[in-house]
Amino acid sequence: MGELRRTPGPHSPIDGDSYLLYYTEQMPPTYLGEFEQIVLLAILRLGEKAYGVPIRAEIENRASRKVTVGALYSTLDRLEAKGLVHSWFADATAQRGGRSKRYFKLLPAGMEALAGSKAVFDRMWEGLHV
Amino acid sequence: MSDPPKFAESLLRRLVGGRDADAVAGDLRETFEARGASRLWYWGQVLSCFAVRFSLHRRALPGIGTDFSRAVRRMRRNPGYALTAMLCLALALGVNTTLFSFLDSMYFRKLPVPDAGRIVEIRRQKAEFCTAQNYFAFRDGLRSVQAAAVSGSGGYMEVGRTAFVAQAERVSSNYARVLRLGTTLGAWFGPESESAAEPPAVIGYRLWKTRFAGDPSIIGTRVRVMERDYRIVGVARPEFTGTLPPMTMDVWLPLARRSNSRITSLVARMAPGENLASVRAEMRVISARLQAADPADKTLASPLVVQPDAGFVFEWNRTFFLPILTLLSAVSGMVLLIACVNVANLLLSRATVRQREIAIRQSLGASRPRLFRETFAEGLLIAAGGLALGILIGYWSGRALELFLPSLPAAMYHGLTLDVDWRVALFLAAAGIASAILFSLPPAMASSRRNLNPAMKGDTIHTSRQRELYSVVQVALSLTLLIATGLLLRALDRAQHVDPGFASGHRVFVNVRDLASQPQMDSLVERVRELAGVEDATLAGTIFPNTGVDCVSAEHEANPRQARSNIVDPNYFDFMRIPIVKGSGFAPAGSITETPRVILNETMARNFWPDTDPVGKTIWLGCPPDQTQKLGTVIGIARDTKYTSMVERPMPMVYVSRREDAGSGFWSLIVRTAGEPHRWIRPVLDLAQHSGGSLIVYDSGTLDDAVAQSLWEVKWQASLLAALGLLAIVLAAIGVYGVVACSVAQRTREIGIRMALGAVPLDVQWMVLAHGLRVTAIGIAAGLLLSAFTVRLLRGFLYGLSPFDPIAFAAASLAWIAIAVLASWYPARRATRVDPLTALNYE
Repeated sequence: MGELRRTPGPHSPIDGDSYLLYYTEQMPPTYLGEFEQIVLLAILRLGEKAYGVPIRAEIENRASRKVTVGALYSTLDRLEAKGLVHSWFADATAQRGGRSKRYFKLLPAGMEALAGSKAVFDRMWEGLHV
Repeated sequence: MSDPPKFAESLLRRLVGGRDADAVAGDLRETFEARGASRLWYWGQVLSCFAVRFSLHRRALPGIGTDFSRAVRRMRRNPGYALTAMLCLALALGVNTTLFSFLDSMYFRKLPVPDAGRIVEIRRQKAEFCTAQNYFAFRDGLRSVQAAAVSGSGGYMEVGRTAFVAQAERVSSNYARVLRLGTTLGAWFGPESESAAEPPAVIGYRLWKTRFAGDPSIIGTRVRVMERDYRIVGVARPEFTGTLPPMTMDVWLPLARRSNSRITSLVARMAPGENLASVRAEMRVISARLQAADPADKTLASPLVVQPDAGFVFEWNRTFFLPILTLLSAVSGMVLLIACVNVANLLLSRATVRQREIAIRQSLGASRPRLFRETFAEGLLIAAGGLALGILIGYWSGRALELFLPSLPAAMYHGLTLDVDWRVALFLAAAGIASAILFSLPPAMASSRRNLNPAMKGDTIHTSRQRELYSVVQVALSLTLLIATGLLLRALDRAQHVDPGFASGHRVFVNVRDLASQPQMDSLVERVRELAGVEDATLAGTIFPNTGVDCVSAEHEANPRQARSNIVDPNYFDFMRIPIVKGSGFAPAGSITETPRVILNETMARNFWPDTDPVGKTIWLGCPPDQTQKLGTVIGIARDTKYTSMVERPMPMVYVSRREDAGSGFWSLIVRTAGEPHRWIRPVLDLAQHSGGSLIVYDSGTLDDAVAQSLWEVKWQASLLAALGLLAIVLAAIGVYGVVACSVAQRTREIGIRMALGAVPLDVQWMVLAHGLRVTAIGIAAGLLLSAFTVRLLRGFLYGLSPFDPIAFAAASLAWIAIAVLASWYPARRATRVDPLTALNYE
């Protein structure tokens, strides 16, 4: 159910008339699939060096799973569309045939989603011993 | 170092596209060696990129937002050109919308009832469906549909002493339930109506508003419809006008269970899970059963029609407007094309202005697709603006057309609605997008041209040639329209001067219904003759343009042919100045007989007795098997006249004397007056209304007006085409002006040099004017050529005028030359105001 709130408009000074009245829905936490979590974690681990090649290497080394370039980029596109990561182009090197790299970094929303997912698992695991 | 497979790389580029593809290809190349340079691995990775291609979250066309914001910025900087372009487009889209909504309401619009998609119309091709008794017998056994019966329409209505023509329809008591109809006031009648002592009636919204002034206390009022009393129980919803568009029903009456009448058609709602095929199958079975029960009834053999109720129901309604609407669609399509060319021209001139900027950007590395997209975005924005304005203009022109519609005969237009519904909106959007593509492509191509050299130098030959070509196309198209308009106007003029064959001046008619005896009508005619200012009066069964129809055959019950017919007073021919060319007229006296004397017109005489003298021959009148045939003896031949329209072909006609045929009780009292005929309508009406008895007046007017009104079709066509033609000319004139003005702007420097070297203003003016005229002249030549091929298609609208009428052709060409001079005049004058010093510094 929605909760009634009085919130000032985005660009208006706070005075009586410019208050906007609206319902805000309790936003559900962004749900992350397992592979999405892995990709986000890989980006987080790599920090400044996160572009296609190292991300794949990181996933293959740590999670021991083969990733095709198509699967990786379609996931990255999705994460970007959801506003969890940001990408930009830079560093064209000769080794890459003069083509630029697409770098990724986590946005605060991505960080929040990862933390949320972890919290869910933590709660589910609490008190269990397998 | 080995290279990855080339073909796989280009596939990758196609799949992913843009800089994203670069990044992926770079990644793959970086790891290619490490993976042992396996081509198989590389192909596998490329194919996996299908996932990227079809991912829902793919970043569609990166940078598209920038394209649009740049386009908006450019338009804001130069709002005049963007507005002109939008307005041109909006005008053309507006008229196209109106025309399409016309087509829509004729062919596709469903009834304004809930779940209208399930309503079907069941009838026979050329006969009534069955008797009312039959219907009540099979109604409750139907599986695939719930069916309501609709029986005959037409008639007149009386409220107190006033009578008027009203479309009435008898419907079965489940009519409102089947169609799920609501009311504005009161309620629809239900099953109790089938045997009510004082039957209920529901009146249409329009009738309620016009005849009863929207009286809210109308429920319970008594009215007489076709000689029977009814009590009004409800007023229909405004949007519901019956199930037979474009006919508008004025009153719905219940179909009595014991009725002997025949029902015209069924209007039915398909049961859940049933479809048109199953309804057809069931109706075929029922029809076969009816036929088996009554093999003598030939009407039951007429083929069944089961169709969704959409648009105009009757074939003749659909075909009537088809030629003119086809013509108008073609013409408004042409107007849209002219508008598109205009916008393309404007965009091209913008591209010319921006040529250097574009060339610089291109040499700095902007890709061709990117520049193409940018221009295209501008086109789309203009199309969007044009679309929004076009909806407004379409609404207005729809209203204007509705104001104009009353010149149509009532049955033709009341059922037409020119609202914008989803189909119209869809059409508009499609037309807008199609035109955006049409007018954005050429400038987009021009702006993304490969060769930068001439552009850098400011050379603009290519686009100005292209724009001249566009202008030629516009002039040619609009000249064709102008010629077509001219032809139609000439045809109208011709039709207006057609001799009707009878005298219409100073003649007033009053249509009455009288069930009383002949002497009463005779005394009415006598009293009318005695009115001051009345010269003479006569009676006829029907009057132009509603002349009656009858069957005629040379032998008893053998192949009757249709002919026009009229029952007239003996003095009719003299009164109407229709000469008897052979034989004699009717005798002043006589008695009702089964073997009347008849007078034929010349066409009839020629058709039946091409070689011999028809006077003294006999002819059978009446349509078997419904009517008994009468044997007529021909006593004279009258000259042909017009019977239904001024533009009809000669039709066969039979006259019978009123002394020998009692007629149907409907008469036209025609009065010849001494002065202005309108002044005598009132006195004649008063006399008729107060003549007592059962006489009811239902229409009146002057014959001149009736003749003028019968030209509605020609007037309608000519004026609609003229409106569109005018619009086309305005658009094309803007085009010519744009081309000339732009060339003046581009040649400012040249003009400045000429002036500095001593050219007189007149030389410069002539130079500019000649440019405009040259473009126009080529356009006119092309337009004349185009017209030579297209005007043949107009033949059906010209009523005998040759499509190659030299006056229309010459007048249109001259008009265009005048328009071109006007359109070039202003830029020419501006050119001479150029100050040589400024011009030389001008860039």
